[in-house]
Amino acid sequence: MSKSQMPIPETLLMKESMLTKKKIPIAHKQTKRQQQYFFTTVGILFIVCLLQIDISFSQFQEGVARIPSVLSMMLQMSFTEFPGLASEMVVSLVTAFLSLVLSIVFAVVLAFLAARNTTPNRHIGMLLRFLFMIIRAIPATVWVLIAVASIGFGTMAGVLGLIFPTCSYLVKSFSAQIEEVGQETIEALQSVGATWWHIVFRGLIPTLLTSFLAITAFRFEMNVAESVILGMVGAGGIGLLIQGYISFYEFSSLSLGILMVFITMFLLEFMTTQIRRRMSN
Amino acid sequence: MESILKITNLAKRYNGGTLALTDINLEVKKGEFIAVIGPSGAGKSTLLRCINRLIEPTEGSIEFLNQRIEKASKNDLRKIRSKMGMIFQHYNLIYRSSVLENVLHGRLGYMSSVAGVFNRYQEADKREAIMLLEKVGLEAEIYKRADELSGGQKQRVGVCRALAQNPELILADEPIASLDPKSSAVVMDAIYKNCKEQGIACLVNLHQVDVAKRYATRIVAVKAGTIIFDGPAGELTDDMIKYLYEGKEQEMFEQAN
Repeated sequence: MSKSQMPIPETLLMKESMLTKKKIPIAHKQTKRQQQYFFTTVGILFIVCLLQIDISFSQFQEGVARIPSVLSMMLQMSFTEFPGLASEMVVSLVTAFLSLVLSIVFAVVLAFLAARNTTPNRHIGMLLRFLFMIIRAIPATVWVLIAVASIGFGTMAGVLGLIFPTCSYLVKSFSAQIEEVGQETIEALQSVGATWWHIVFRGLIPTLLTSFLAITAFRFEMNVAESVILGMVGAGGIGLLIQGYISFYEFSSLSLGILMVFITMFLLEFMTTQIRRRMSN
Repeated sequence: MESILKITNLAKRYNGGTLALTDINLEVKKGEFIAVIGPSGAGKSTLLRCINRLIEPTEGSIEFLNQRIEKASKNDLRKIRSKMGMIFQHYNLIYRSSVLENVLHGRLGYMSSVAGVFNRYQEADKREAIMLLEKVGLEAEIYKRADELSGGQKQRVGVCRALAQNPELILADEPIASLDPKSSAVVMDAIYKNCKEQGIACLVNLHQVDVAKRYATRIVAVKAGTIIFDGPAGELTDDMIKYLYEGKEQEMFEQAN
């Protein structure tokens, strides 16, 4: 019976469209409208923002004219500062690594308390998630500035200041993993009468260990990038030296510093990608 | 025969307001092998999960070995659960751990948190677990990682984990729904044989009516959250099955293939 009914609406539609010479719509109406709204809003915002900044064509022109001379100064790389830069690069790496390791210790415990499906108490879980949301909302730079203000300049302030954003990032990522893949594991161990500790240590940690390590490797990369920049606000490390070179227009040393940061980040990214690839197998 | 599980007036309403179970009454005697059949969405899975409280029942009482499950404290619930094995449709193994470790997880219910966290399983438990694995034909797989096994093998590990609990009752939630016919037979045989040998009562959720009839001594049919048939396998008529799957004949057809 459906065979005789099916073609009727189609032919009607075709006839109608031939009469009015209208194209037959094919898009999902709601999706299309949403897309239109989105692009219109972005367009309007872009124009509003353009009007907000002072566009000075002369400044732009002068700046462009200066680029060749700045570039040529930066191309004259001097290696006299290499030992100092290298040792400060190590300090930056150490800062990143220490804050990461300390954060992991806290984050592994807190993630299981914060994840919706493993929290021993709904209210504690909610409180923790809210707390870490606030910590994440404050940029790492501000945390380091607070640390510098309270314990003074140096690497210790860098480590302490980085712990907050690192820890909250790890808690967020770990607990997302727990919530995503944990349910089957949790039910399996609940059904045999396991305790919370059994579920965490014998079920979830073995299952999630590799993804936790992959997240951590990625975060190490981020931490190094952070600690390089944070040197500029007084946390020690290579950022402090680079900041000095900029202030005193020492372009030859500056370009060496930038090159070293670039090479370090490149190697790190290469390494963490390798680690993550091996983990996923 | 003494009764080990008694469910009276059990009801479950989900947060969204869906009534998954209404007025369920069921008694399980020691060593009974009961198949729970019904179309998908009938509430079979909810019924099983209410028994070990992976899902909290809304109303009614569940009595297991003279203990009220729905009222049990956290600690008592743990003890109750340790006497009740569960087999899952998706096996729910710890895939990064070895096969033997997975079977030993069945002993966690009898261990303290510290002992469990530090892997202090009894040597006797280990021997028992290896014996169980040999019995289901997995002696060559003992030290493999659980994710290296095939589906049928994984489910046999799941069966061993439940048996390692030394349970009075096994709840099997669609144990063969993700398996091919050959593996299904192996898994069902493993469940059936071991339950018979050790006098373990078993509630099996099944899609396949023919499988249910082959193994079960008693069949419980669930439709739209209520029990519409409860009796010996022989008394389940074709008309009854037709009524059970009314509107879901597609599922019946799929089974036949």
